[in-house]
Amino acid sequence: MQAVILAAGEGRRLRPLTRSRPKALIPVGNRPVVDYVIDALLACGIREIIVVVGYRKEQVIRHLNTLDEQVEVVVQEKQLGTAHALLQAKDLVKGRFLVLPGDNFINSASIARIRDVKNAVLVKEHPYPSNFGVVVTKRGFVTRIVEKPALAPSFTISTGIFSLEPDFFSFIRENDLTDAVGAFIESGKKLRAVPADDWQDAVYPWDLLQMNQKLIPSAPPEKAGEVSGTSVIQGQVRIGKGSRVGPATCIFGPVVIGPGCEIGPHACIMPFSSIGARVRIEPFTVVENTILMDDCEVGSHSRIKDTVIGEGVHLEDHVSTVITAPLMEIQGEQIKGRFGAILGEKVRAGPFTTFEGAIVGNSVRIGGGSRIRSTTAYEDGGLVV
Amino acid sequence: MCGIFGYCGRRKAAPILVEGLRHLEYRGYDSFGIAVANDGITVQKKQGKISLGGADLSGIKGTMGIGHTRWATHGVPNDQNAHPHLDCPGKIAVVHNGIIENYAALKRELQDRGHTFCSETDTEVIPHLLEEAFQGDLAAAVEKVIPRLEGSYALLVVAAGCPEMVAARKRSPLVLGVGDRAFLAASDVTPILEHTERVVYLEDGDVASVSTKGIVIRQGEANVERPVQRIDWSLAEVKKGGFPHYMQKEIYEQPEVFSATIRTLRDEETPRMLEGIQGVTLVACGTSYHAALLCRYLIEEHCGIPARVELASEFKYYTLPGGDLVVGVSQSGETADTLAAIEKARMHNHPTLAITNVLGSTITRLADHTLYMRAGPEISVAATKSFIAELAVFFHLVDRLSGGKLEPALGSGHLAIGEALLQDLSPAVELCMGARSMFFVGRGPFYPLALEGALKMKEISYIHAEGYAAGEIKHGPFALLSPETPVVALCPPGPAFPAMFSNIKEMKARGTPMVVIGAGGNQELEEVSDVFIPLPGGGLVSHILASTTLLQLLAYHTAVALGRDVDQPRNLAKSVTVE
Repeated sequence: MQAVILAAGEGRRLRPLTRSRPKALIPVGNRPVVDYVIDALLACGIREIIVVVGYRKEQVIRHLNTLDEQVEVVVQEKQLGTAHALLQAKDLVKGRFLVLPGDNFINSASIARIRDVKNAVLVKEHPYPSNFGVVVTKRGFVTRIVEKPALAPSFTISTGIFSLEPDFFSFIRENDLTDAVGAFIESGKKLRAVPADDWQDAVYPWDLLQMNQKLIPSAPPEKAGEVSGTSVIQGQVRIGKGSRVGPATCIFGPVVIGPGCEIGPHACIMPFSSIGARVRIEPFTVVENTILMDDCEVGSHSRIKDTVIGEGVHLEDHVSTVITAPLMEIQGEQIKGRFGAILGEKVRAGPFTTFEGAIVGNSVRIGGGSRIRSTTAYEDGGLVV
Repeated sequence: MCGIFGYCGRRKAAPILVEGLRHLEYRGYDSFGIAVANDGITVQKKQGKISLGGADLSGIKGTMGIGHTRWATHGVPNDQNAHPHLDCPGKIAVVHNGIIENYAALKRELQDRGHTFCSETDTEVIPHLLEEAFQGDLAAAVEKVIPRLEGSYALLVVAAGCPEMVAARKRSPLVLGVGDRAFLAASDVTPILEHTERVVYLEDGDVASVSTKGIVIRQGEANVERPVQRIDWSLAEVKKGGFPHYMQKEIYEQPEVFSATIRTLRDEETPRMLEGIQGVTLVACGTSYHAALLCRYLIEEHCGIPARVELASEFKYYTLPGGDLVVGVSQSGETADTLAAIEKARMHNHPTLAITNVLGSTITRLADHTLYMRAGPEISVAATKSFIAELAVFFHLVDRLSGGKLEPALGSGHLAIGEALLQDLSPAVELCMGARSMFFVGRGPFYPLALEGALKMKEISYIHAEGYAAGEIKHGPFALLSPETPVVALCPPGPAFPAMFSNIKEMKARGTPMVVIGAGGNQELEEVSDVFIPLPGGGLVSHILASTTLLQLLAYHTAVALGRDVDQPRNLAKSVTVE
């Protein structure tokens, strides 16, 4: 059986984190989201995997080349929509196939439920259905599907994971997959709604933190680095090759730390922290419930909580993040988040900077002692004094 | 240049040979051919690339055979001159990589004795010599013939009704693969990886007899043992894996390559030979020469010792200064001129250091010590990631010699490359692709980069491009500037900035379209350029790495826009194993 993974879209609502990679490549629990999708497929014995790439395609292809399993790559030159993306794989599809978004988490038990069902969609109950394709079902079959309605007719949403026959391609007229599914149902075809076991999307950047909490525990514990004898390590902790954990450092799992990091001495890594490769965390700094991507540096006496930090960010000493629940404007819509900070790649912040529920664009430079609040937009490349 | 490949096993040989040659195509692609031994010898050969197809393999029986992909040295590329070559009765087939220097004399002598030649190649003398020497033992015949051959060769020979394939080498690369039920021989490991990761490197003068029973290696009269080595490259690394070209794949691998090279070197001990050296002579060809040229600025500035950089092909005409460490740089480790240079240095009792990408390659056996770059297999003929890896090795060397002066910059080098990879170069490509001729200029360490940028541009886009030191432009080439000759100027911040900036203004004043690579935020600089490409922040090391990547991408995208064959540009081959 074949599977088509759609990984061409940027995921604009996750900006500034998508500058150098699409959403499918954002690391959660130190692995790109698409890796979990591929893992789940392989666990169900589906080895013929086609990945549609588009936005920053070279980065995606480069990553796929590093995986053990070889996948087929198809390019969507312009990101016009999900159905258009699927259409790019049409010539490679030979029989019944699965379609999956490459930027949502899915577990193998869910895929096993839909694998052998002809014409089906995985659905899930969601408290805020308006961000998704909302599904109305009757006796286990889909009767209606509406994309991102203002007023949702039900709390059941489509996960975007379908089991389809090649004849589905003839229903693709618009660029969106939901429209094609709508046309498919209207023509009298049956589409079964199968409840997913576990599935999660990150619509907004702070959603990555929940996904992170779910996925860190799936990283098998390992201590490949050099760990000081006076450090305290409890719970499920994974430390990558060549990383050094200094004296009197406390690490309380679940935590993942990538290769080549330098942590401490006297640092505190609290639960649900994903720390990428070559990250340096200086003494007396606390990190908790945070995604820190590759090549970051966090100065001493800092407190980084409930935060997503892009690659190559450099925070000097005494930087702190404060969790707040600001009203944000993201891609034109007003939305309430709850987080400390979302920092784009290569942000530099001087000593004594405080972040209070702020999203900061890529390469922004922040002078020492600044108070960065959610009320201002910090665009890419800006300067805050 | 030229790639040879042989298979001896239980499966049908013909398709395996063609598949293997495909991996070697970067070494030459003028023509290809195979010979399979069965009751007789079946030969198939063809002008042109393997990837273009045209080989009819159906009905070729036999489980042992040899193949060749050619980069023409003697005789034009056509069907007759394609290898394998046969003796008069068509019982012995030979493929050969290298040059037989005394072939003309041998050919006359053989013709006098009544042999008929069908090609203009130097190689064809070998099967005819073998025909005279062959008395049932093929290996013995080869041993008898090779003392008569002058020059360089890697040979594979099969004969009708003979259960063995014979391999011999002298100053041309040859590797044997030890598989489960099959043995292989090839110019390098890439075609072998598909079958096994265990290889044996042959030494100069070795004659190996390969059959399904095993390998017997002889050197002169005596049997010799050569160690079996394990290759840590994976098959995935030699596949395009979704990229349209190897070159693009390799450019995008550069951040990884840079940090991997730096990381592994950091863990190695500094070789003794670097202690207290008085001077360095760097010897290289092509792209490696540019890397060496750049390194010179850094060595002299940071380490306080004089550094000389020589083209390997010219090195033999120079006199060596006393006491210098001689460093040979060759991606493949097989570049004939660089090998000759190292040999010359050894003869004069100089300490020698090799920088190469290929474990077990010839240069590693010649030099006293080897530093490896971790670029992985590079398939594209235009060198990209190996240049970055060479820079990484050089930066490391400078760092060690200067007591850690570059250290802080090395850890973040890959970020600068990654940043450059995100740049959209389409306006610059548009400006370049219409040009028939263009210039690349820079000052200081950016002068070698200008040379490298020009080399990349000409080798894959076929646009005539010249690299110049910006100060030299006014001494002549200025006469060539016009609105039709775009100039790519490297103008990063640094001591050379003011002079470079006024050079740019001078050129602009002649109506020359300017593509300027420099740090963002300087409005005046951006205004004077037709296309401005910003460099990421950071110091000299970051600027060098980012500029390199931008120039590679510019050449790549221009070549793609012009519809060129990026991975296999005309007339070129990957490693130049002849002088």
